[in-house]
Amino acid sequence: MKKRIRQAVSLALATTMVLSLAACGGGSSEPTTAASADSGSGTPETTAEPAAAEGLTVNTTDPITLTFSWWGGDARHEATQNAVKKFMEKYPNIKVENQFAAWSGWEDKMSASFATGTAPDVNQINWNWITSFSSDGSAFYDLNKVSDILDLSQFSESSLADCTVAGELQGVPISLTGRIFYWNKTTFEKAGLETPKSLADLMAAGPVFQEKLGEEYYPIALGEYDRMILMVFYLESKYGKPWVENNQLQYSQEEIEDGLEFIQSLEDNHVTNTIKGIAGDGADSLDKNPKWMDGRYAGIFEWDSSASKFEGALNDGEEFVVGEEFEDMGDANGGYAKVSMCFAISETTEHPAECAALINFLLNEEEGADIMGIERGIPCSKAGLKVCEDKGLLSDKVAEANAKVLAYVGFPLDPKFEAAALKNSDGTYYDVMAGLSYEDYDVEEAAELLIEGIEDVLNK
Amino acid sequence: MSNNKGFKKWMSENLGMMFILPWLIGFLIFKVYPFGSSLIYSFTDYHLFDGIREWGLMNYVEIFTKSRIIKAFKVTFTYAFMTVPLKLAFALFIAYILNFKIKGVNLFRVAYYIPSILGGSIAIAVLWKAIFKSDGIVNMILAIFGIKGLDWLSEPGYALFIICLLRVWQFGSAMVIFLAALKNVSQDLYEAASIDGATKWRQFFSITVPIITPVIFYNLVTQLCEAFQEFNGPYIITAGGPRNATTLISLLIYNNAFKSYEMGLASAQAWCLFILVCTLTVIAFISQKKWVYYSDEDGR
Repeated sequence: MKKRIRQAVSLALATTMVLSLAACGGGSSEPTTAASADSGSGTPETTAEPAAAEGLTVNTTDPITLTFSWWGGDARHEATQNAVKKFMEKYPNIKVENQFAAWSGWEDKMSASFATGTAPDVNQINWNWITSFSSDGSAFYDLNKVSDILDLSQFSESSLADCTVAGELQGVPISLTGRIFYWNKTTFEKAGLETPKSLADLMAAGPVFQEKLGEEYYPIALGEYDRMILMVFYLESKYGKPWVENNQLQYSQEEIEDGLEFIQSLEDNHVTNTIKGIAGDGADSLDKNPKWMDGRYAGIFEWDSSASKFEGALNDGEEFVVGEEFEDMGDANGGYAKVSMCFAISETTEHPAECAALINFLLNEEEGADIMGIERGIPCSKAGLKVCEDKGLLSDKVAEANAKVLAYVGFPLDPKFEAAALKNSDGTYYDVMAGLSYEDYDVEEAAELLIEGIEDVLNK
Repeated sequence: MSNNKGFKKWMSENLGMMFILPWLIGFLIFKVYPFGSSLIYSFTDYHLFDGIREWGLMNYVEIFTKSRIIKAFKVTFTYAFMTVPLKLAFALFIAYILNFKIKGVNLFRVAYYIPSILGGSIAIAVLWKAIFKSDGIVNMILAIFGIKGLDWLSEPGYALFIICLLRVWQFGSAMVIFLAALKNVSQDLYEAASIDGATKWRQFFSITVPIITPVIFYNLVTQLCEAFQEFNGPYIITAGGPRNATTLISLLIYNNAFKSYEMGLASAQAWCLFILVCTLTVIAFISQKKWVYYSDEDGR
C-alpha cells in the first residue's frame, strides 16, 4: 500500500515538473531578434515529451575537475580561456582543464574520442555531429535533464528543436549561421564596377575583370563545397522547394542538371577560377590564399560568422564589404541558416550539473557572455545577445552579414546535407564539383553521381 | 621456506622474461590485439558510431569492384614502383661518390642525410607545397627562362610525381647503409681490376654492385614496405587530390576510418595492403636466389 502511495506521489511530482517546464518553454518562443529568428531547419524531432529536469544541484564544496574542448583561432582561444578563468573564480572548487586547437584534424580526433567514450566533459560541437555521432543519443547528455541549471528559455524553440535528436536535447545552440557573399570593393573599383547586387551583375563582372584586370583576376573564388551550397541556393530560389524534405531529395535529374549548368557557366564566363586553378594556388583555404589577400579573387561566398576572418586576411588598402543575397536567382528565397555550433555535455561525464553550470555561465550569464563576445558568431542566447548589444561587442560586419542571412532564409536545411560521405574532401560534393570542373564528367553524369551519392546517405 | 626457494629458482630461470615483460605487454595490446581485431572487423560493416549490423565478405567485394578503391591501389603501385628504384639508384649513386676521398666529405654526408630526418615532417610537406604551387619557386625559376610554369599540384599527371619526389629526396638512410656496404668492399678487387684495365664503370657494375647485392636487397625490401605505407606526403601536400591522383591506399584507409567512420571497410583495406606487401616481400625473397650474392656461400 505504502509503495503504491509513493508511486502516486512520484508520478504527481513528475507530472508537475513536466507541466512547469512546458510553461517555461512557452515563453521562449518569441523570435525577437535577428539572431534568435527561426532557422527554418528540418523537421524537429519533438514528438516525445522532453525529459524533465532531474533536480541536480551544482556542487560548490567538493573539488571537481571538468574537461572542456573547442576548436578555433587564437582570438577564440583567448576569449574562452578568459571566460573559463572567470567561471573558476565563481566556483573555486571546480577546476576546468581546457583542450583546444585549430580545426584542421580536430573532427578526426573528436570522433575517435566520442566513439571510445573518452571525450571531454563539455565540448564545442558542430551541429551535424549530433546526427553523425549520436543519432541514438548515446554520445551526448540530454540537456533537458539539467534545464534547472542551464537556462534553456534563453533559446528559441526552433533552435533547440534543431539540436534535438532521438528525443534528446543533445546540444545547446551557440549561434546561427548561413552563407552570404563578401566582396573586395577595391578590386571591383579597379575594374570600374560596383560590387554585385544581383546574379546578373556578377555574371557581367567576369568578362570585365578578364579584360580590364587580366586573366588572374576573378570576381569570386568558389571551392567545391561553396559551389554545392550556391547551386542549392540557386535551385531553391528558382524552383521554390527545399533540397531535401522528409528524407527525400526533392529535385529531378533535369533540375539538378540545370543547377550544375549554372555552376559551370560561372567558370565559362570567367566569374570564378577553375577548381584546378584554385588547387594550384596551394592554399589550405581561401582566407590563406594569396590571391584573396591581394584582391585577385575579389569575392567569396562564405559563412556570415567568417566575416572577420576573411576581412582580416586582406592586405592593407583592400576594402571588404558584405554583399547582398541575390534576389534575381528566382522567386523564392533559396538561403538557409543552420545552427553553426553547439555546446554539448558528454554522456560519460560524472558531473552533468557542473558542466551545465559552465555552459550556462559562458552563454547566458553576463560575466561569461561578455568575455565570449561574438567569437562564435552572433549569440543564439537572448541573454548573451543582450550583453553583446549593451556592451557594443557586435562587430558591424558580422552583425550585418548575420542579419542579411537570417532575413533571406527560405528553406530548411536537412542535417544530412553535411554528412561526411557528402561533405568531406573525398565525398560526393567534392567529386561531382571537381569532376565537372576538370571535365571528367559532363553535366548529365555529374547529376547522376550527385543523386546517387545523396540517396545513399538519405537511405542509410 | 620451500615456497621462497621455489620462487627464487623460478625468478632466476625467468628473469629475462621479466625484463621483456613491459615490451611484451605493449606488443600484445598495441600490435597483436589491433592486428587480430582488425581482421575480425574486416568481415563486418563496423561503423564507428553505428556498430556492427552485418557480417560477410562485402568489404572485400567492395575493394575489388569499386573503381575509387581500385584506383587507389593502382596509384599506390605507381607510386611505389616510381619511388623505390629512383630512391635506391640515387642513394647508391651519392653513396658511391661520397665513398671517394674528397675534401669535406663528412660535411657532404651530413648534408645529404639531413633530408631523411626532416623529410617526413609536416614542415617539409608544407614547404614542398610552397615550392610547387602555381606561383611557387619552381614556376618562378622557369619564368626567368621564359618557360610557362606547370600546374604541379593541380594537374593529376604531375601531382603524383611531386609526391614521389619528396620521398626520393629522403634518400639519406638508404645512402648511409650503402656507404657502409661500399666501405666493406675489398680494395684488392679494385686494384686487380685496374691492373686488368677495367674502367671505373666496369668496376662498379662488375665488382661493387655484385658484392653489395645483400645490402641492395635489404634496402629494396625496407623501401618497398615504406613506400606502400606512405601517408604524410599526400595527406599534407595534396590531400589525395587532384581527382584522387595522389590518394594512396594508406590515405584511403585513413579517410574511411576517421572521416567516414567505416572501420570495417578500412580494416579490410588495411588487410589487403598487408597481404600485398607480404606478397611482394616474399617475391623479393624468392628472387634473391637469382641476383643476391652472399660472401659466405661457396662458389658465389
